[in-house]
Amino acid sequence: MRTTFLIVGVLVAIFVALPIFIVLPMSFSTSLSLEFPPPGYGIRHYVQFFHDPTWVGPLVNSFVIAAGTTVLTMLLVTPAAFAMVRHDFRGRGFINLLLLTPLIVPHIVMAVGYFTYFARLHLLQTYVGVMLAHACLTSPVAFLTIAAGLKGFDRNYERAAQSLGAPPLVAFFVVTFPILRIAFLVSGLLAFVHSFDETTVALFISGRDVATLPKRMFDAIRLQADPVISVASSLLFGVVLIVFAAAMLRQYLGQRGAR
Amino acid sequence: MKPLRASVIPNRWLPYVLLAPLFAFLAVFFLVPLAEVVWLSISDPALGLGHYVKVLADPYYRRVTIDTMGTALFVTTLCVLLAYPLAYVIAEIGGAVGAVLLMLVAMSFWTSFLVRTYAWMIILGNRGPVSTALHALGWDPPPLLLFTRFSAVVALVHILLPIMVMAIYAVMRKIDLNTMKAAASLGATPFAAFRQVYLPLTAAGIVSGSTIVFVLCIGFYVTPVLIGSPREQMISGVIGQQIEEFLAFGEASTMAIVLLAVTVVILSVYHRYFGLDRLWG
Repeated sequence: MRTTFLIVGVLVAIFVALPIFIVLPMSFSTSLSLEFPPPGYGIRHYVQFFHDPTWVGPLVNSFVIAAGTTVLTMLLVTPAAFAMVRHDFRGRGFINLLLLTPLIVPHIVMAVGYFTYFARLHLLQTYVGVMLAHACLTSPVAFLTIAAGLKGFDRNYERAAQSLGAPPLVAFFVVTFPILRIAFLVSGLLAFVHSFDETTVALFISGRDVATLPKRMFDAIRLQADPVISVASSLLFGVVLIVFAAAMLRQYLGQRGAR
Repeated sequence: MKPLRASVIPNRWLPYVLLAPLFAFLAVFFLVPLAEVVWLSISDPALGLGHYVKVLADPYYRRVTIDTMGTALFVTTLCVLLAYPLAYVIAEIGGAVGAVLLMLVAMSFWTSFLVRTYAWMIILGNRGPVSTALHALGWDPPPLLLFTRFSAVVALVHILLPIMVMAIYAVMRKIDLNTMKAAASLGATPFAAFRQVYLPLTAAGIVSGSTIVFVLCIGFYVTPVLIGSPREQMISGVIGQQIEEFLAFGEASTMAIVLLAVTVVILSVYHRYFGLDRLWG
């Protein structure tokens, strides 16, 4: 029984890991086609990627949009997390449900909505439009992360600061924020990567002007089998490593909160 | 001791004031566009429920809906079958092997859908390793693997598998293995102990994982559109096509609302029996 599980489990894990070991070597291929394994290795596709404004532009757009989304999400979500964790009030259950609905609605549904709604507001193909949409979609995860950190926070630190005369906002920035900085960092990173990776909504609303990297990749994949896409994939994958560190921190945080 | 706070805002108003920015933001930039989809489905181009009648009765749309549900069911089943042994190794065998496998699963989870879809396009492409291997084995010409339902299912299973593993693993790690020893000491064979004791204890993980995977699968856009068969589209693909090619917002919105309704019904059933908060761990 155990042995069977072990063998099958390891085989499944190989299936899970396979693509990572395909895309990275592919980006260093010397071939112009999607030949695998590559006939030789070089950095010509990277050189091509960074000399092509139609690739570098979307890369920059993605960073701008993800950064803006992160700031906006954090500003909105932080006070809300404080309210939900520390207060009991009428309508709490309903609001909790509402805050999490962006997790439930399929992105293609929102893509349809944003496409027409933002057209009327003249927000199609603008940085602001994509940021607004992404902030909605990333808010539940960012909110849950900060709320989790806040639940494990010992309020006596804050009370001590306030009893020494610090106004609530000062106490927040001097005491609460530094103690919970890991929760804020993780929450921010998750929002950043979520926005950086988001494809479906960006496809419909970023258009040509502010095309994000995933949008550019999607169009390229649909058009032709261009190995430069492997470079974009590897860059997108690089962002994963950052999140990965964030996820580890989150787990560490969760364990500390449980104690 | 009562917490001290600024007296400008009365205490019972404070939570509402703190929530107001996010609430207002979501109302204007999430709920209104969502309501817009509902409105379009009954008003574009003329007011009425015509699109719903068409989407529910037209054989083409009915086939798309049935195809989507069928594919999602198949993908979910495969995910359970593949994820279970992997989660078992991580949770119960553990050690260095378990740690490495958990890391691989997490890494895959965090890799963009788009990147993983693209990887499968290389693997299953006509110059990829699978075709080369089949050719070497004497299958000439090798079968076309890409842009079929097969390739869509493979990529979807691969993309959703980590979520299933996490859901089952979360339940498995809490199981006390002494229950298995107790079963063995009462004379159960390892298989009987597994089937009658261990498997039922992990059922909650399978249900949670299947719910998430199924719901994500029916709403998935990117992967089926890129790697699936253009002739056997899923609901989301048809929605995208209606907008991009035909600018048929009414029909696209109607399909979107049907998709949303199915999602909400499934999650409500889950919520009734298990509680949605458990879905997000």
